[in-house]
Amino acid sequence: MPSAPLLDREFLEKLERFAIQWQKSFAGLVGGHNLSRFAGAGQEFLDHRNFHHGDDLRAVNWRAYLRLEKLFLKMFQVEPRVPVRMLVDVSQSMAAPHVQKFEYARKLAAALCYVGLVRLDSIEVHAFSSRLSQRLFATGGRHRFPALMDKIAAWEAQGATDYLATIREFIGDYSQRGLVIIISDFLDDRGCERALEYLIDFGHELMLLQIWADEDRLPPWRGELDLRDAETGAALRLDFDDVARQRYTLAFDEYAAQIQALALRSGGRYAGVATSQPIEDLIFGELIRARGIA
Amino acid sequence: MYLLNLSFLQFLTVFGSISAFAVALYLLDRSRRRQVVSTLRFWVAAEQPAAAAHRRHIQQPWSLVLQLLSMALLVLAIAQLRLGARLDAGRDHVLVLDTSAWMAARSGNRTLMDLARDRARRYLRALPARDRVMLVRADALATPATAFEPDRRKLEAAIQASRPGATALNLDQALAFARHIQSQAAGRGGEIAFVGTSRIAAREASAPPLPRNLRVLLVPDPIENCGLRKIGMRRSASDPGLWEIYVSARNYGSQPRNVTLALDFGPGGPEGRVAAGSQRLTLPPGAEKEASFEYRTEAAGILGVSLSPHDAFPGDDRAELELPAQPTLAVTVYSAEPELLKPLLAATPRVAAVYRKPEDYRSDDTGLVILDRFAPPRRPAADSLWIDPPAAGSPIPVRRVVDDQPFAGWDSSEPAAAGLRTKDFKLEHATVFDPAPGDSRIGEVDAGPVIVARPGHPKIVVFGFHPALSALRYELAAPLLFANLLRWYSPEIFRRWEIAGGSVGSVKLQMDQDTPPSDVRVTAPDGSQVPFTVRDRTLDFFSGVPGPVRVAAADHEYIYSLTLPQIGDAVWEPPADALKTIPHFPLTLDSSTDLWRILALAGGAGLLAEWILFGHFRRFRQSRVLRPVLLRAKSSDPEEVRR
Repeated sequence: MPSAPLLDREFLEKLERFAIQWQKSFAGLVGGHNLSRFAGAGQEFLDHRNFHHGDDLRAVNWRAYLRLEKLFLKMFQVEPRVPVRMLVDVSQSMAAPHVQKFEYARKLAAALCYVGLVRLDSIEVHAFSSRLSQRLFATGGRHRFPALMDKIAAWEAQGATDYLATIREFIGDYSQRGLVIIISDFLDDRGCERALEYLIDFGHELMLLQIWADEDRLPPWRGELDLRDAETGAALRLDFDDVARQRYTLAFDEYAAQIQALALRSGGRYAGVATSQPIEDLIFGELIRARGIA
Repeated sequence: MYLLNLSFLQFLTVFGSISAFAVALYLLDRSRRRQVVSTLRFWVAAEQPAAAAHRRHIQQPWSLVLQLLSMALLVLAIAQLRLGARLDAGRDHVLVLDTSAWMAARSGNRTLMDLARDRARRYLRALPARDRVMLVRADALATPATAFEPDRRKLEAAIQASRPGATALNLDQALAFARHIQSQAAGRGGEIAFVGTSRIAAREASAPPLPRNLRVLLVPDPIENCGLRKIGMRRSASDPGLWEIYVSARNYGSQPRNVTLALDFGPGGPEGRVAAGSQRLTLPPGAEKEASFEYRTEAAGILGVSLSPHDAFPGDDRAELELPAQPTLAVTVYSAEPELLKPLLAATPRVAAVYRKPEDYRSDDTGLVILDRFAPPRRPAADSLWIDPPAAGSPIPVRRVVDDQPFAGWDSSEPAAAGLRTKDFKLEHATVFDPAPGDSRIGEVDAGPVIVARPGHPKIVVFGFHPALSALRYELAAPLLFANLLRWYSPEIFRRWEIAGGSVGSVKLQMDQDTPPSDVRVTAPDGSQVPFTVRDRTLDFFSGVPGPVRVAAADHEYIYSLTLPQIGDAVWEPPADALKTIPHFPLTLDSSTDLWRILALAGGAGLLAEWILFGHFRRFRQSRVLRPVLLRAKSSDPEEVRR
């Protein structure tokens, strides 16, 4: 029996007016719909400068020459086609304690792919846990989307998260800088901050989309708990009461704030969302406010 | 020290149940739960490991002990723990007030019920104020009117509200109920006081002995009474228009009486009634006599039976029975030769036959339509009997026509052919039908069925020959066949009615034939079903409410007009050692101290202390301390973080 599609047509139609946004200007990249601070062969006028030998005569402002008898060159804003790469966390922590986080991540990835396809962006999508896997290349317009969505829907949660190994592999594979969208719960026992800083230092622009289940932030249980880590299998027994729950939530919020600070400090974007929040609210609210799409 | 509301065993049971529940909840609250989580990093930061928590739980049983202690105090408060000797406490008495039908009899210008109420009030006022009393109204059933009640005003109101019922007093059941209810009460047992007359329903030999703490406050009832006991009516087997009526009357008094039994008939109400007969009877003391009457009517109405002269208990001097109308079956015969069928239909008196010519046919006739060698353009909407119809218009397809065929036999499994016997008769000319699967083959020749019945609505029977123009006319089976067919068409006109008047209470009915209980319906005056038992053709049921009760069993319907009050046949003599006067209790001061308020306060305080020391209150306070920190963390916006 065919499973239901990740996203319905009505939702996709709403996404068509959006475009993935990036803040940075990447030298040497042309084409695309985001403006760059670098001048180039664009359509939008940027400034004038003095004509130098070898400049393109087609860009000379002849009206200014007739009036001032000096050659000025018109400069135009370039719209670079920045490579967009999306990393989607498929580790087992995304499927714990329930599968909603994983579902949510797949839907969000598919929605962003559709936004990119509509604007003729090229998006490379990678699933990852302990390393990169399942590379998908989304380009060529919206008619490519159904096949892409089916492939994303076929992903399964497996493996333990290793951000450091994954990012090293990513930097090794992709030398060209661009926008990196990471959809994850950012739960790695070894920490993900250092790996993300590597990406920033390498010149990538980050868009971090953190997803958590309600139980991840505010565990509903109380009393004596026998806990098991979904990825490592490590066990922990503890007594959990309201005070402990508040401490837990405090620690979680502090961690989320660290991730957010890391993204914003480098000029990137961050959006955190609980799976209880509809994905429409994330895309049409949180993500627009964070200037991830416009 | 003693418990007023509960026995010690009951206290232990209640407290044990509550304690078990509290301990189970306590353990459940602290049971370990297995859970898979995304990461352990925040959990580690949240709380110390379970080993330390276990040590804390070992100290927490003080919470459980405090809870259990508080609950014990609350249960003791509910049980009304008292300080002092139990002897100083009040006692629990049961006051059994006779509300049987006989209590409506008049003695002078007051009823026996008025006298009994006076005695009950006097008994109540003689009791010490701390004693509790339960009022039980007793007729055929014992019904508690109050709980064990110390409030005398409530008890007097309940006594005032007591009215004579319709049944005789079942003394054994009332006293057994009083004894049982007194044994269930936690307080010190008091007396069982009976206030009423000595006229009761006959006691059974296996009745338990009377209780030792019985006090009998009898109301004198030297009342001479004659009354109707039973009335029976049924239609005569030989003459359906004639009702046979049997009336039974009894002299309950000590003097012989000459009475007149009179019958009247008419519509409901006093207007338009006509006398239907009368007889004089002489009734010796304690004797019961029966008189029989005959009354001819086919109309429905109310038959009244009166006994005169009236006496101090008029409730059993008149009874009224509802007579149902005799139903008849309307038969319309379409025949060119009606004389052939008249003898067959005239044999059944419950048939009203109309004969018409075939050209006067109407398809909207009601009842039963007989079509003699005639196929109408439109089939009748009512049930129909077709005699030798033309092949083109027969409701059941014709297979063939045969001549000189010997009649093969009757299918005696069919109700229409039940009991039919014929021997060696031939049909000179007959039509053989081709019946459908659901049709009944009543009579057959070798070539197939010649009489076929089709059940359903409307019912149809088709004859392949004319019964009055064939050899069947010489057979006894002919009128029997028609009688069977009429019963099959309309069973209700053959229903036999028996009407009886009697008193409410238990009714035994001897049925004429074995009827499975599933075919028996006993219906109360309000239309509800009355429970009954059937054993060896005897049907038993109980009706405590005056009114007509209908019993439908196969083709019989019995109507019981249970409007006569039930009067006890026996006169009870109280035991010689029973107390028989209004008591005089010495006044004693109640020296016991009721502790329930103190216990309730202590229990509540204990639960509050447990909540403050161990419960959610502490967590609530801690959460109040932590909440601002949490709120600050949640409200951090991107700009703030960036700063």
